[in-house]
Amino acid sequence: MDTDHNDRLFRLPFKLPTFHGIRTFGVYLSGIFYALGFWVFLDAVLYSKYSNASDVHVTFIDWIPFLCSTFGMLIVNSIEKNRLLQGALNSEGGSSFGDVDSNMAWQARSVLFCGFALLAGGLSGSIVVLIIKFLVKDYTSYPTVGMGVNNVLGNIFILLSCVVLWIAQNMEDEYSYSLTL
Amino acid sequence: MQFKVSPLTKIISLSVFLALGFLLVILSCALFHNYYPLFDILVFILAPIPNSIFGSRSYASSDFMSPSSNNGKDLGHFLTGMFVASGIALPLVFYHCQLIGSVSCAMSMIGGLIIYSSIVIFSWFFHSSWENDEDNLFG
Repeated sequence: MDTDHNDRLFRLPFKLPTFHGIRTFGVYLSGIFYALGFWVFLDAVLYSKYSNASDVHVTFIDWIPFLCSTFGMLIVNSIEKNRLLQGALNSEGGSSFGDVDSNMAWQARSVLFCGFALLAGGLSGSIVVLIIKFLVKDYTSYPTVGMGVNNVLGNIFILLSCVVLWIAQNMEDEYSYSLTL
Repeated sequence: MQFKVSPLTKIISLSVFLALGFLLVILSCALFHNYYPLFDILVFILAPIPNSIFGSRSYASSDFMSPSSNNGKDLGHFLTGMFVASGIALPLVFYHCQLIGSVSCAMSMIGGLIIYSSIVIFSWFFHSSWENDEDNLFG
């Protein structure tokens, strides 16, 4: 009875869909999410410039969380060789390839930390901007507070895009060994 | 029943489709004297370019046993997805900020999608036939 759970990931009979084009689909989805996040944020900026009825405006301060999230996403996704990285993240070398020495593992860990910190900092910065610039000063009615909410939503979409891209690029590694001689 | 369409018919119908798309977008600007939707054409024309630059590399460079590097292809897919979603979102954002009207927004979005899909269908039709038989292209 206990050997039933050996080769399944979840307890309930639930399988992640795996077909051949899922990696491409994941990358496209990640691009779509990033564009959605960018345009939701740009909606706030353009609204503030062209059809703003109140006296609170989108300034450069509002751009900072977006820039942080974008840089974080660039840094996180520019780490190559994810397969080698999984050995580095788990233990100090000892993988069968021999490339992973502790120096590269340390560098990879610090770069990843910076990237994730920038991403999380961008999201929390946008929430801070929403609270301090809009909610504390009592601009709590739509559509004025929509400018702050759009900032938060944009950063959430960028975070989602980064997560989907990371998953899509890592998911294929178990199924890509189809060498036919 | 094998429905054989000659390549010349395909080219002509695709170019008519593309012209229809351009017509829609230009009408959406000219009818309302508001030239902001022209940015939509720009985005949709830029959209297939990353896919074609970074597209499926031939197997000449990679060895048999080396891990397949998908980085260029992934970047191309990411940028193309980003541009297509931008092209759909741009008229909606402009409409929400009251820069263009609702009819103009719908027309420019549909026209842009027609332009992009005609470029994609063109590369889809003729990509495999270039690789298979180059003699029969205009036969």
